[in-house]
Amino acid sequence: MSPPSAMEQNPGKAQDQKIYLHPLPVRIWHWVNAAGFLLLILTGFQLRYVDLFSLMSFETAVHLHNWIGFFVIANWFLWFFYYLTSDKITNYHPDLNAASFFERFFRQAQFYGQGIFMGQKRPHDVHPSNKFNPMQKLTYQFMMFITVPITFISGLMMWDVERFSALIELVGGIRVVNTVHVLMFIMFVMFMFVHAYMGMLGPKPSSHYKEMITGYEEPHDED
Amino acid sequence: MRNIPQVLVIDDDAVVGHSFERVLTEKGYEVDMALSGEEGLKDMDTTDYDIVFTDIKMPGIDGIEVAERIKAKCPWTPVVVITGYGTEENEARASVLGVNGFVRKPLTPEMIESVTLKALSEHEEPQPAANEEVILAETEAVEFKGWRKALRIARNIALFFAAPFIALSYIIALPIVGFYTFAKLAVEAWQKKRAVS
Repeated sequence: MSPPSAMEQNPGKAQDQKIYLHPLPVRIWHWVNAAGFLLLILTGFQLRYVDLFSLMSFETAVHLHNWIGFFVIANWFLWFFYYLTSDKITNYHPDLNAASFFERFFRQAQFYGQGIFMGQKRPHDVHPSNKFNPMQKLTYQFMMFITVPITFISGLMMWDVERFSALIELVGGIRVVNTVHVLMFIMFVMFMFVHAYMGMLGPKPSSHYKEMITGYEEPHDED
Repeated sequence: MRNIPQVLVIDDDAVVGHSFERVLTEKGYEVDMALSGEEGLKDMDTTDYDIVFTDIKMPGIDGIEVAERIKAKCPWTPVVVITGYGTEENEARASVLGVNGFVRKPLTPEMIESVTLKALSEHEEPQPAANEEVILAETEAVEFKGWRKALRIARNIALFFAAPFIALSYIIALPIVGFYTFAKLAVEAWQKKRAVS
């Protein structure tokens, strides 16, 4: 019998001291969400700018937008229940010390604006239960707990206007709901561009993308 | 406590373990090293250590989880967490678990010795001696573990649901805090320039 390989003896070491940051359910949710939102943005553009684009018929765009919307809502619940029931829930915990939070937030902003170009050490030390830096944490909390649910609710209200007529009236009418949905849509488009750009700010431009496929943090020079 | 205190050092960096071994062996301790959380927990199953040092950032089971498991199984065993740069949040989380101290890298022989003595002296009393006491302590440990787990889950869920409200308040406060921070930096830079000239 051959002696056990390095991987068999110590899988942690064999992964070249990498940290397992993104568990499989999170990676599945992330990429399904990314594909879903891209398709929602695409079909949303087609719905809103009928005269400018002719990727598909208006009717097809409506059906696709609705079905993908439901799929993305179901996917959000996968994210929600995964974090609610796992020990990784701490990643979305708020920082209760506001002074410390803002101090680290601006230190991180300074790193992105200046330090990163000067080869400074990243100020946030990633950990599986605390993987987001303060800027990421605030952004993701805002997106996942506020923007995404508002988009879903406003989308559902427009999907069946009759069924949700009372709620629509309560919030000020269909134009209000539509405006809110479009504002969220604009926010998502902006988020996706920024998110894709920030994803390139790892040790190598492809590092963070690889991390979201393998689950393991790519090694940093300073580590 | 035994005549020769037994120390376990869990760190994926062997240099750290050797530092502890060099310093503490000279002082009459017996030092075992583990290069991962998994290995350390296995060692805990076979040996009754007087004190455990664990690094916070390790591949596989990290130091916080190691401390949590040790505290759940043997709450009387002192656990000291070895931390590095920028790990204040991890330290805060480890404190919640009831670890007995922190020691920051880079380590000096004086730091190793003093933190070991401090953690040991603070935890000599709760050592169970008789069989009845052991059974009692084990029962209490299981109950304590259950309560602590339930409390931790409740706290985690409460914080999860509080996140959007706190995030929103931070977002609202962000422009004001940002303006204040930049104004403060500008004043400091101006004062520095004035002092130089």
